[in-house]
Amino acid sequence: MGEIAHLLRLEWWLDRRQKHAWGSMALYVVSTVYVCYQGVRHIADRPVWNALFWIILLFAAFNALGRSFQREDAGRQLYLHTLASPRNVIMARTLYNALTMAVLSLLSIAAYALFIGSNALEEAAVGPFLSTIVLGGISFAMVLTLIAALAARAGNGIGLMAVLGLPLILPLLLTLVRAGKLALDGLGWNVIGQYLGWLCAIDVLVLALAWLLFPYLWRD
Amino acid sequence: MKGWWWKLGSVALLLYVVIIGLRTPLKPALVHVSIDRIAPGEVSFEVTGYNTHFDQGPLRAELENDGQTVCAQRVEVLDAAHVRVAVNIPPGLRTPLTTLRILSRTDGPLVLHEAFYTEGLGTGITVETCGEFFDAENSMAGHSSKEGLRFPHRSILNETVRNLFFHVPMWFAMMVLMSVSFVRSLMVLRNGRLSDDRTALSAVNVSLLFATLGLITGSLWARVTWGAWWTSDAKLNGAAVTVLIYAAYLVLRGSVPDPHKRARLAAVYNIFAYALMLVFIMVLPRLTDSLHPGNGGNPAFSQYDLDDSLRTVFYPAVLGWIGLSLWVLNLTDRTAKLEASRHEAHG
Amino acid sequence: MKPMVKRLMLVMGTLAPLSTFAQQQAPGWMVDGMYGSGKINTVILVVAAVLVGLAVWMFTLDRRLNKLQKRN
Repeated sequence: MGEIAHLLRLEWWLDRRQKHAWGSMALYVVSTVYVCYQGVRHIADRPVWNALFWIILLFAAFNALGRSFQREDAGRQLYLHTLASPRNVIMARTLYNALTMAVLSLLSIAAYALFIGSNALEEAAVGPFLSTIVLGGISFAMVLTLIAALAARAGNGIGLMAVLGLPLILPLLLTLVRAGKLALDGLGWNVIGQYLGWLCAIDVLVLALAWLLFPYLWRD
Repeated sequence: MKGWWWKLGSVALLLYVVIIGLRTPLKPALVHVSIDRIAPGEVSFEVTGYNTHFDQGPLRAELENDGQTVCAQRVEVLDAAHVRVAVNIPPGLRTPLTTLRILSRTDGPLVLHEAFYTEGLGTGITVETCGEFFDAENSMAGHSSKEGLRFPHRSILNETVRNLFFHVPMWFAMMVLMSVSFVRSLMVLRNGRLSDDRTALSAVNVSLLFATLGLITGSLWARVTWGAWWTSDAKLNGAAVTVLIYAAYLVLRGSVPDPHKRARLAAVYNIFAYALMLVFIMVLPRLTDSLHPGNGGNPAFSQYDLDDSLRTVFYPAVLGWIGLSLWVLNLTDRTAKLEASRHEAHG
Repeated sequence: MKPMVKRLMLVMGTLAPLSTFAQQQAPGWMVDGMYGSGKINTVILVVAAVLVGLAVWMFTLDRRLNKLQKRN
């Protein structure tokens, strides 16, 4: 436990050293939103507004998490290997990525609503909607962290990560889009809560799988 | 030949399925009426049946609306599959959808649910008794057993219900093969043997073959019954995701040259993806179903509601197709093994 | 060898739903009664022939693999 906390601090420290990582994530989101804005200006239709947002968030997640196992070079990775247990490494990295995605999803919805319009939010149940977005970002992080590790080990980076990750993300995405749309329609916690509950359960499952499988990736 | 009993047994089961599954006729049913709305007054329409024998034996036609029955004045037989019915509709029926019922001594009671959209609704009619049609002597209770095996007639599906014996078992076979691949991947991580990895790969290849067949048979079926090759439905999405996952597995394998590392990485992905796939296929559709009950009322999808007559062919079909797929896996794996050992021998 | 398996299974799997077409010779679907029963026998024969052919081919392949494996 203590080691995980320590590793979390390491991740934070690494990111502070390379502040451009945060900058690049934020810039990616804002640029994508701006490009969409130039394309469609304003979307009042709720399902379309919702769907476009999730697509933007999906690609932001791929972009943000793709470099998650490539930030240290080989030397530092070996050092980390000798210091910490692989399970703690994956736990810390997954949790850190989840936190990053949570923040990034809130930032994304803010930018999105600013540019593409917030008419769709008029009848929305705001609490459930924001929770869906945050939990969605966290779920992406959970699944994609292990996939990023796998892709990094295979030596192929972001391209392979997209190929491996997309089929696994797709069902999650469909569910999140539906939950988001329901929240925009004004359905409250009693309905959205079910979705969120299942998403949490899936996240726990993914964490467990990552915990079990990561050591086999780590050893070389 | 090792294991000949289950290999040839699967083929025998499939022969049974092909012969009985395609030969067994459907039960008689009503398929079409010539008008779709009825209003109070004299109404006359033509009814089309399938596998019916309207020309043998007396007939009676009734309309039923929320438990209340209206008897037809006249039933005129045009041929074995067509009758013309004349009814006097009283005003005041209760619900907007009326069911048509034709009673026949030879075919039994035939029902077309919610055949007519009804106008002139009210609070109810005085119910007439149409009289007993099936009395103790002419009872239809033993009807189907006299006639032999018959498949139920489902609207929209009609004869295509037979595809049930081909399309659905292929998905079962695919799931079985993917489970084999999953187990072998677990063994790769535990033992590090390349032979397990090779079997896992063969299993994925054969399962993708059956997935392709499942997709083709499903697509043809969808085209024939609903006019579309593909729709966005939970089961189809699940099928697409599964194929994408295992295609990605093959891509991953292709990008790692070292055999042991490839075996390890592929096994990790296989295990991760299989577990998630099970969750996605079983849990997530239930989530959207429970919040949005009813899938448009299409009987081809959600509940199969398997009739016992369908079961007599369906269960052997499942066993036969799974057995055949395992035989294909057996052949594929042994071929891969021989290729690998020859590759090693020749350097 | 594997592509052959695929091709044969493809043919077999594609023929299966064609049984539905046996009943649709008359214009407007599902119009007449026992119309299709004559044609359906042809479909059954074709599918059964493909199935038996596939099984025989797989059987010979199995035997050949046995011999190769014994040789090793």
